[in-house]
Amino acid sequence: MKKFDYLKPQSLEEVLSLLNQFGTKAKLIGGGTDAIVMQRQNKISPDLFISLRGIPGLDHIEGNGLLKIGAMVTHRAIEQSPLIRERFPLLSEASGLLGSVQIRNVATLGGNLCTASPSAETAPPLLVYEAEVHLISQKGERRIPLESFFLGPGETALEQKEVLKEILLQPPPPNSRGAYLKLGRRKAMDLAVVNVAVLLTLNPKTGICERARIALGAVAPTPIRVREAENIIEGNQLNDELIRKAGEMAKHTCSPISDIRASSEYRREMVGVLVEKAIRQSLT
Amino acid sequence: MTEFINVGKRIPKSDAQEKVTGKAIYIQDLKIPGMLWGKILYSHHPHARILNIDTSEAEKLPGVKAVLTGYNIPTIKFGFYKDNTPLKSNKVCSYRDEVAAVAAIDPDIAEEAINLIKVEYELLPPVFDPEEAMKEGAPLIHEDHLGGKEKKPTNILNIPWKLVAGDVEEGRKNSDYVAENRFKVTWVTHCCMGTSGCIAQFDPRDNLTIYSNTQIPSLAQRDFTEALSAMGLQGKKVRLIKATIGGAFGSKLDTYPYEYIAILLAHRTRKPVKIIFSREEEFFATSPRQAAIIDIAQGCKKDGTLTFRDVRMVLDNGAYTSWGATTPSVMMMPISSLYKVPHVRYVAKCVYTNNTYSQAFRGYGNPQATFAIESQIDSLAEMAGIDPLDFRLRNANTPGEVTPQRFKVGTCGLRECIDAVAQRLDWRQNRGKRDGRGVGMASLIHVGGGARVYKSDGCGTIIKVDDFGTVNVITGATDMGQGADTVIAQIVAEELGVRIQDVVVTHTDTDICPWDVGAHASRTTFVAGNSAKMAAKKVKEQLLEVASRSLGEVPENLEIRDRMVFSKIDPEKKSPLGKVLRAAHYTTGGKMVMAEYFYDPPNENLDKEFKGNLSVTYAYGTHGVEVEVDKTTGQVNILKYIAAHDVGRAVNPMLLEGQVYGGAAMGIGYALMEQLVLNNGKVINPDFRDYKILTASDIPTIEAITIETDDPFGPFGAKGIGEPGLVPTAPAIANAIYDAIGVRIKDLPITPEKILAALKGKDSK
Ligand SMILES: Cc1cc2nc3c(=O)[nH]c(=O)nc-3n(C[C@H](O)[C@H](O)[C@H](O)COP(=O)(O)OP(=O)(O)OC[C@H]3O[C@@H](n4cnc5c(N)ncnc54)[C@H](O)[C@@H]3O)c2cc1C
Repeated sequence: MKKFDYLKPQSLEEVLSLLNQFGTKAKLIGGGTDAIVMQRQNKISPDLFISLRGIPGLDHIEGNGLLKIGAMVTHRAIEQSPLIRERFPLLSEASGLLGSVQIRNVATLGGNLCTASPSAETAPPLLVYEAEVHLISQKGERRIPLESFFLGPGETALEQKEVLKEILLQPPPPNSRGAYLKLGRRKAMDLAVVNVAVLLTLNPKTGICERARIALGAVAPTPIRVREAENIIEGNQLNDELIRKAGEMAKHTCSPISDIRASSEYRREMVGVLVEKAIRQSLT
Repeated sequence: MTEFINVGKRIPKSDAQEKVTGKAIYIQDLKIPGMLWGKILYSHHPHARILNIDTSEAEKLPGVKAVLTGYNIPTIKFGFYKDNTPLKSNKVCSYRDEVAAVAAIDPDIAEEAINLIKVEYELLPPVFDPEEAMKEGAPLIHEDHLGGKEKKPTNILNIPWKLVAGDVEEGRKNSDYVAENRFKVTWVTHCCMGTSGCIAQFDPRDNLTIYSNTQIPSLAQRDFTEALSAMGLQGKKVRLIKATIGGAFGSKLDTYPYEYIAILLAHRTRKPVKIIFSREEEFFATSPRQAAIIDIAQGCKKDGTLTFRDVRMVLDNGAYTSWGATTPSVMMMPISSLYKVPHVRYVAKCVYTNNTYSQAFRGYGNPQATFAIESQIDSLAEMAGIDPLDFRLRNANTPGEVTPQRFKVGTCGLRECIDAVAQRLDWRQNRGKRDGRGVGMASLIHVGGGARVYKSDGCGTIIKVDDFGTVNVITGATDMGQGADTVIAQIVAEELGVRIQDVVVTHTDTDICPWDVGAHASRTTFVAGNSAKMAAKKVKEQLLEVASRSLGEVPENLEIRDRMVFSKIDPEKKSPLGKVLRAAHYTTGGKMVMAEYFYDPPNENLDKEFKGNLSVTYAYGTHGVEVEVDKTTGQVNILKYIAAHDVGRAVNPMLLEGQVYGGAAMGIGYALMEQLVLNNGKVINPDFRDYKILTASDIPTIEAITIETDDPFGPFGAKGIGEPGLVPTAPAIANAIYDAIGVRIKDLPITPEKILAALKGKDSK
């Protein structure tokens, strides 16, 4: 592993100025559960890691309407937050399935998104909740939808000297229910072969599905929303036929690859299976 | 039955506290003043000629003390087939071939130096499929390797494994049903928590001390002594000291290039040199369980009586030869002797390829063979329309039987094991529903009373007793986490009438410990246990002799219990053990109380036809599983796991269950997810992210059932249990999956993808 320096600044301002000073030689580090692994595998080789640990204003979970989650909030904190469990249960479940308790105690939500793995655990739930990300640099701040944050495997809209500050979640419409499903080879410490989040808003009187959000992980260069599948069920009374069609559509919209964890055919097949299953679970 | 005080008790492993508090000293922790760090450069190709190695840049790097290649070291040949060398010259035959090595003052510099070495190669055509490698005109791995009648260059090793008993053709003719299938098993690796490593150090007189985590101290000592001779150091001594071993499972049953490299670097630099494997090296540069292609046929009568078993195998030997090539000798055991089968034939070929080379792994071939046999037993039972439970009971081995391989079955609790599993699974109720839930079972036979693989199957013990009643047991056995230290202490404490905490077991240093053939073949409790028991018996005789003088009672009337010597006739006559001991040598003409014993079990080497009573007694067992299969994803969920074993006697039920849990967990991994994936010879999953072993959350509740048959040869009746726990796991699971959804997967691991594909194939039929 290449040797590196480690700096632990005290404030976000200091972080931004260090980023400015060291440019491409520096890399941010949150929990380090991705960064250090990548450094060991020579996939990245910064001279310097700038730690975000303990910096004020990055580890909050707060807000009545709009919920703000600091980038440095750990998956363990998300999993255990009553606020998130009640209002954004799919995120709570996803964080609770990431790695193991030991990993969740250090790994952060910001790190999960910035690594931008196609199988990122929390991406599908955040995509169906239509999360936004708040980015900050010395040049200023901006808010963009999470969907446009992911550009490719390991690629995000973050500029070189930019920091992900927080993740913003608008409450979904009333009567929304959903499901998060992760298919892995084992029950813990496993990356998703396919992961799926579904969020449906049902009219309590008519039973019509007024709004549908479906997102997939590990089956495209980035985590994706599948609007084609959402459109099939939106505005309709759901029945077996429609659910099957939505699954089929999702299956044909994604573009999985074959790797050591699964073949593209299996992944595609599983998208259909899991989307159907997640829709059914959302209905019960 | 006799009441035991120490035997049969759930006593925690003697170093449990050290281990859970991080105080145990592993090879990773050891440092010697002045020590250098060695690092190895591996091949960049699966098969290539080495044209040039340029080490000049590496040598110039400050901190580098030596750079070795195959061109500047003496020729050392090692391995079972003597086809391996520490560093390769001329050509490389696999990705794990060692091309150069460096010793430097710290590991980072060593690593940097390795990256500065430039090797020019000329690529040669590789071959990765053993069946391809057997064909005429296939690329030759070792061009000078000759074989066959004509002594022509070939990739097929000159180890003609062939066992014939009875007449399989006759058996086939007499069969009402015959099943014929091809099974495939692949590479899996030991996944020891502690990676491989050693420190080699020479004294000024060129004697070698090597710190290692081997499971064969005496044989490794011999290997290294031979290496010293090859280095021109004839007559020099080798002392081998074991650190705490972080798991072995067969992986440390041989000596490896890295150890010879450490020795060569230490000799070149005149400093201690340490080599420790990274996790990635542990995955790609150690030797896994071998891949094999198994063609098997078995037949039976209408009533289910087995008529014959005919097995042909091709084993992927990889580029060099370690003990993996000898696993057919153990595969013969279940093939010839699991259930009563009159006609048996087994032929196996080991074939060189450009893949990684294989080694022993818990079960030593038995899990592979049993996967094929026991999967097919279910198919055969189905053909005959017989419940697989009844089929197994009909053919089960029984005490007193002599098997076609001439094994003399002594105690045998196979029936009891099968019955116990059937009962715990509610077999009759749950079988045959095909509703996504299913039950399956599979049985095993394994050596349980040593295994005479070498000329000796022995183990020595020395016992001395000090002034205070502390009993020092110096044993040849190796504790590698399995609990040999604890079980030996229990046996000695029981025999001598002292408390377990009075017994200190030393087993780590060849300068002190007696000879032992190694921790293999589930033999340690049986062989080292018997050895310790006999030595303790001799010590006890001496103690009673001494006590008889001071107590004025004949030795025959004396007994020792709980550190006290007393007369069985006159309870007034008694004395604390410590006092007796002090009296022994604080006297004119005094004596030390100590004794030795070398126990070599009365078992036989296999003869030229591979027949003979390999073990004094045999271990049996049956595993039963209930699974649930998700037909949409292909995922298998284990609902219930029952492991019943005939163990002779559980000397320590807690450690015994630990062996069964660990074995079954490894077996479940073997069945469902573990696989070292080689892509054109290269391991592409050298990490725990993609080499899937079970995590704690994946391990189902394993119910271990102990059947005690009190073996007359075993120490207090015990048989071996180290390996059996994973032998029948994969076929039990495969059989349960078949019972659940009606598809049979014949190649391991049984992945969700394979299950879905098989389900689809079935639907389209
Ligand atoms: C054993 C193990 C199991 C795992 N299991 C899973 C799993 O099941 N599912 C899953 O999705 N992942 C898993 N992971 C991956 C990893 O744990 C997660 O992606 C985690 O959320 C990363 O967070 P971190 O804080 O450790 O990130 P770090 O490693 O600290 O950072 C990751 C990347 O993000 C950048 N970064 C971090 N924070 C910021 C910020 N605020 N602004 C800008 N850039 C930033 C860093 O520069 C780096 O490039 C696992 C990892 C391990 C080691």
